[in-house]
Amino acid sequence: MKTTIKETQEKLRSGKTSPKKVVSSFLSRIKERNKEINALLSVFENAQEEMEKKDKNLPLYGAVFVIKDNILIKGERCTAGSKILEHYIAPFDATVIEKIKEKGGVFIGKGNLDEFAMGSSTENSSFGPTKNPLNTQRVPGGSSGGPAAAVADKMCNAGIGSDTGGSIRQPAAFCGVVGFKPTYGTVSRSGVMSMASSFDQVGPFANSVEDAKIIFEAIQGKDYRDSVTSDLLRKKVKNKIKIGIPKEYFVKGIEEDIKKNIEKAIAKIKGSDFEIEEISLPHTEYALPAYEIIMASEVSANMARYDGIRYGLEFERPKAKTIEEAYLKNRGEGFGKEVKRRIILGTYSLSAGYYDAYYIKAQKIRSLIAEDFDKAFRKVDVILTPVTPTLPFKIGEKIEDPLSMHLSDIFTVTANLAGLPAISLPCGESKGLPVGAQILAKRFHEDILFFATEKFEKIWLNK
Amino acid sequence: MIEKKEVEKLAHLARIRLSKKELSEVPSQLKSILEYIQKLSDIGTDSVEPLFHFPELKNVVREDESRTVDRETQKKMMEMGKDKNDYLKVESIL
Repeated sequence: MKTTIKETQEKLRSGKTSPKKVVSSFLSRIKERNKEINALLSVFENAQEEMEKKDKNLPLYGAVFVIKDNILIKGERCTAGSKILEHYIAPFDATVIEKIKEKGGVFIGKGNLDEFAMGSSTENSSFGPTKNPLNTQRVPGGSSGGPAAAVADKMCNAGIGSDTGGSIRQPAAFCGVVGFKPTYGTVSRSGVMSMASSFDQVGPFANSVEDAKIIFEAIQGKDYRDSVTSDLLRKKVKNKIKIGIPKEYFVKGIEEDIKKNIEKAIAKIKGSDFEIEEISLPHTEYALPAYEIIMASEVSANMARYDGIRYGLEFERPKAKTIEEAYLKNRGEGFGKEVKRRIILGTYSLSAGYYDAYYIKAQKIRSLIAEDFDKAFRKVDVILTPVTPTLPFKIGEKIEDPLSMHLSDIFTVTANLAGLPAISLPCGESKGLPVGAQILAKRFHEDILFFATEKFEKIWLNK
Repeated sequence: MIEKKEVEKLAHLARIRLSKKELSEVPSQLKSILEYIQKLSDIGTDSVEPLFHFPELKNVVREDESRTVDRETQKKMMEMGKDKNDYLKVESIL
């Protein structure tokens, strides 16, 4: 049985357990399992001492985190799953790390990821793939596969990931845990390696919706170091919730088992406090192609900083005669295949002659996607969809076919395009593999999102 | 659609050297993604404004002041590369 932060906190406060017991159980689990699962790229042995120093009344007291390795912890290695940053040491704490420290949380390790958060299976890590702890033949999802697998496998009781097109929600669904991507601009990205800046958002992995909410409340907030952060979060709760089911998320391409599970989950909440209405988000099929273009364009710009000079010093140039030679070599050898493909695609869509046809066109489609949601949220409070079109796939199954890999994000990219908060919640299983439901709300309406999701959790998991 | 020669040129513009193997694989992989993207031309967007950012968000500004890093972190950072009298030694770029 997995223990939530809330439960651990209560046991610690009442003296039923100690920081030593809590941390050593996680450390021994890591020792026993990480060799096979490869969820963690580094392990911190000092979590117990750190927890002993914390005030017991802090909101994150008892929370033991695995942090995705594209988020900086001062003085620690931060690789982004890339050879180009193999020896990079973080010079400062990301804002989210600062906040976790202040609010009583501790860190037990850094989680594996697809290189620079680009991927949907964690197979693109330069340090080997992470395996799904529920079935080691299969992927844990990605790009935040490490923290998701670590929470699922009881190596920790909390995780932090980043989500650009589904990188928190999809691995949460594949590993059977809760994963939450907050509204764009609610959590600071200072100290988080940029991938596609108009989509990137930081959020938690947890064993319950309540834990996800506790972590989110601790890490959110306006930050002068991230120019898109705001304090517009609403804190009103509604009692009667209306749920929209978009028909475009149940079309061909979705595995029958996923469809059945989600329909079962919908049937279970019918007749309770919820009204259910079928809705339409007509531009859904254009979301992933638009995302591909905007994401690749922003990636190609953000990756320019990894030039082997400012970052990636290990690639010295013994034979390079010119600086251009050195760049070509450092970036050619330092980046993995998927990163290179995306940089090239982004360079293509931003080049003169293609800019209007690709980049601007995609940003216009983005408007249409956001409008679809605006219209839907005039009628309903939350929207319920599957997280993924398939169950966790086999390791190696999609790695040579980038398009089919990208299609695993087909239901998650919409929330990034429209900046919406979206949560992935386990809602049953098929063939021993977990199925996730995604619940979305209006921007800054985390209040309604958590309220509804906690109710679903009770009904689906009989909590 | 994208051909090997164009991929080579784009890779060079992005300052990435592709291996022979990559050069034989990447064009067809990009082709399949670009074909998929073509779907976007199905819908007319002449009267649609692009959405670069969300209307609720306002820019956050701060004073342009430098930040310092403590000695211990500085030392750890120096371990990443060759240092010379407290400076990191890098390639000359001019």
